[in-house]
Parts: sequence; C-alpha cells; structure tokens
Amino acid sequence: MIELPVISKEETKKRKPDWLRVKLPIGPEYAKVRKLVDKYKLHTICESGNCPNMGECWGEGTATFMILGNVCTRSCTFCAVATGRPTEYDTDEPARVAEAIKLMGVKHAVITSVNRDELKDRGAEIWYQTVAQTKAASPQTTIETLIPDTKGNWDALYRMIEGGQEVVSHNMETVGRLYRMVRPQAKYDRSLEQIKRTREAGKRTKSGIMLGVGETKEEVFKAMDDLVENGLMILTLGQYLQPTKMHLEVAEFIHPDIFAMYKEEGLKRGLKYVESGPLVRSSYHAERHVHVPF
Amino acid sequence: MNIPQELKYTKDHEWIKIEGNSATIGITDFAQNELGDIVYVDISSVGQDVKQHEVFGTVEAVKTVSDLYMPVSGKVAEFNKSLDGAPEKVNSDPYGDGWMVKVSISNAGEVSGLLSADQYKELIGK
Repeated sequence: MIELPVISKEETKKRKPDWLRVKLPIGPEYAKVRKLVDKYKLHTICESGNCPNMGECWGEGTATFMILGNVCTRSCTFCAVATGRPTEYDTDEPARVAEAIKLMGVKHAVITSVNRDELKDRGAEIWYQTVAQTKAASPQTTIETLIPDTKGNWDALYRMIEGGQEVVSHNMETVGRLYRMVRPQAKYDRSLEQIKRTREAGKRTKSGIMLGVGETKEEVFKAMDDLVENGLMILTLGQYLQPTKMHLEVAEFIHPDIFAMYKEEGLKRGLKYVESGPLVRSSYHAERHVHVPF
Repeated sequence: MNIPQELKYTKDHEWIKIEGNSATIGITDFAQNELGDIVYVDISSVGQDVKQHEVFGTVEAVKTVSDLYMPVSGKVAEFNKSLDGAPEKVNSDPYGDGWMVKVSISNAGEVSGLLSADQYKELIGK
C-alpha cells in the first residue's frame, strides 16, 4: 500500500479533544437496565443514537426509551436512527414501557420517539397511552417527553402532550440556516410554532441545539431569541458528534469555555434554564428540568 | 457476545492473554460494541513501564475517546501497528487482529486478581 501523508494529517486534525473523554459502562445498575430493555423488547435512543453518555446514565439506572419503533420516516443527516417505512405499530408498547419504567424505579423518565409522518395521527395515540399508562403505573415518577414535530398537525400535538407529562421537549437541533442540511424534512418556523403552541397549552417547554455543525455564534444567539419569543423555557446545548462515519461530519469541536459563554448568554436573553457543555444531550440531567418554574 | 473462556478480563473492558512472562492486551467484544466504529487507537507508551490500572493509551470511536488501562504492571513492548491504517479491526476481530499491545509482565502476582470470563460476563449483565 502507498503511504498518503496528506490523509494521515487530515485524520490528526480531526482527532477528538480531551474534553470528550468518557468511561465505558459497567456495574450492576447498567446490567439491570440492559436486562429490562432486552426483556421488554424496548428501543432506547441511548443505543440507537450511539450516545456517549450511555455508560453514565445506564450506570445510574436510567435510560431514554424510544417508542413507535426504531425506523424513522425522516432522514436527518446527524441522526443514527434508521430511515425507512416503519412497520411497527404496537399497541402493547405503552404497557411495556410503563412496566419497565416501574421496575427501574426511576424518579424521572424520559421518553422519545421516531417520526411517524405516514400515520394520520403521527403516533399521537401511542404517545398519549405511553405517558398516561406510565403515570398510572408510577404516579411518583415525573416524565419528560421529547416529541417529534407533528408536521403542523396540531390536534396530534395536543394529544401527544395531554397524558400528564411534566416537560415537553422538542429539539430545534440547529440554527435556521442549516435546516436543509441537517433536518431536510423539517422547518425551522414550524418547530418554533410547535413550541409556542406547547407552551400555550400550559406545558413546560424545552429544546436542544447541537453545536459544531457549522453555525456561527450570531446564529445561535438568533435561535435563542426566537425560542424565547416562542415561549421556550429550557435549552440544552451540546457538541454534535458524528454517530457513524456515514453521517454529517463535525465542522468544529467547541471549547467548554464557549459552552459556558452560551449558557450565560442564553440566560441573559430570557431563557429560564440552560444546560450547556460538550457532552450535554437533550435528556442529560433531565431530572433537573422538571421543577423549572413557569 | 463473545467472551472467550481462556482469557482474563478487567472491569475496564480490557482482555489479557498471558503466555509465560508476556501478555497480549486488547478490548473486549462488549467494549467494541458499546464504543461503535473505532476510528483511532493511540498508544503512546511503547517502551515504557506502566503500572497496573494506569493509562497506556486511548481508543477513539466515532463519538467518544476512552482511556485504556493496564490490566497488570509491565513494560509495553509492542503496539499492533496494523491498527494505524485499519482501526476497524478492533471492531471486527477484537480478540484476534484487533489486539492492541504486547507487554512483558513485571509483577506476576497481579494476575490472580484479574477477572475470569464468567466474572466479566456477570459484570456486563450477560
């Protein structure tokens, strides 16, 4: 084989900085979560998204369940969940999720889902049932739902969020200019409207933006202002990491100091709570967001 | 999940194959599976004496960087250079072509504290 010094230089340049170092998962809690997930045939975004914090979260006995299958109708370029025509529609899923959460005994549960644009109700009924049944089985457990955009089907949105969850999250993922590259089937304004309607329905609102995709600081500030204007309360900011070599490349590794600056800036601009750091993910430390006052 | 009976393991997911005074070290099938696509294996300790539990290198996956810990004290004699151009061998053959370093063991007494295959399986819930 011929040596290509240019390529090795390129690879050196892309090496990850030290602040992205994590420990691999171990321990009895991790094993317990693993067994429950397997036994109840559940999907988790921790696994589907190759989450770097999985060891830490599962080791603390918590996981983020992903409902409505593990095939998504969207083809967002940052996301490791498979795109396709989903086949799963499992009316028993809500009961299995509720049972697993009860057995895990978690104080705070985070549930997310794939997009089901091919369903008339966008999966809202399964969403409602999952939240309502989880609440019935574990009345002490608080719930955050990280929901997809309903493509402007507001009835579907209202059904998704009326099961009794404390926090309704919908991730913007990136700044407006990069939507076509990052979330090709989504619209920046439509997602903002969904957040606005969620807040108007009386729910605690939360969103997340990935940094290092190619956005400028000014664009992040603009997104913060748009979010505040549309009733957003809680924002998470984390480093985008390529889930596999097939996905959108990282444009930049953002320094922890810059994350700290964004946090300060977000609070100054009117957000009530900002979680900002390289390894922050939308459900990371989610239990802290339940009590953010309206 | 492939956890060969004849190897010893650490709670940090290294495996170690001991032959007399020397040993071969890599990461387990479980570890490579949890890490995802490995993109770089960085071993900066060749020629050095490294104590048990100390870091002998790092493994970089698409989303994360993780430290590699010495299962036993010893001198790092050799790095599997073929991983430089083909780190994916760690994913495809973690106990074979994906080995990482060869070590000459300096304290044979530490070997008895390593995990058996069954103990390691219990640790990872398999």
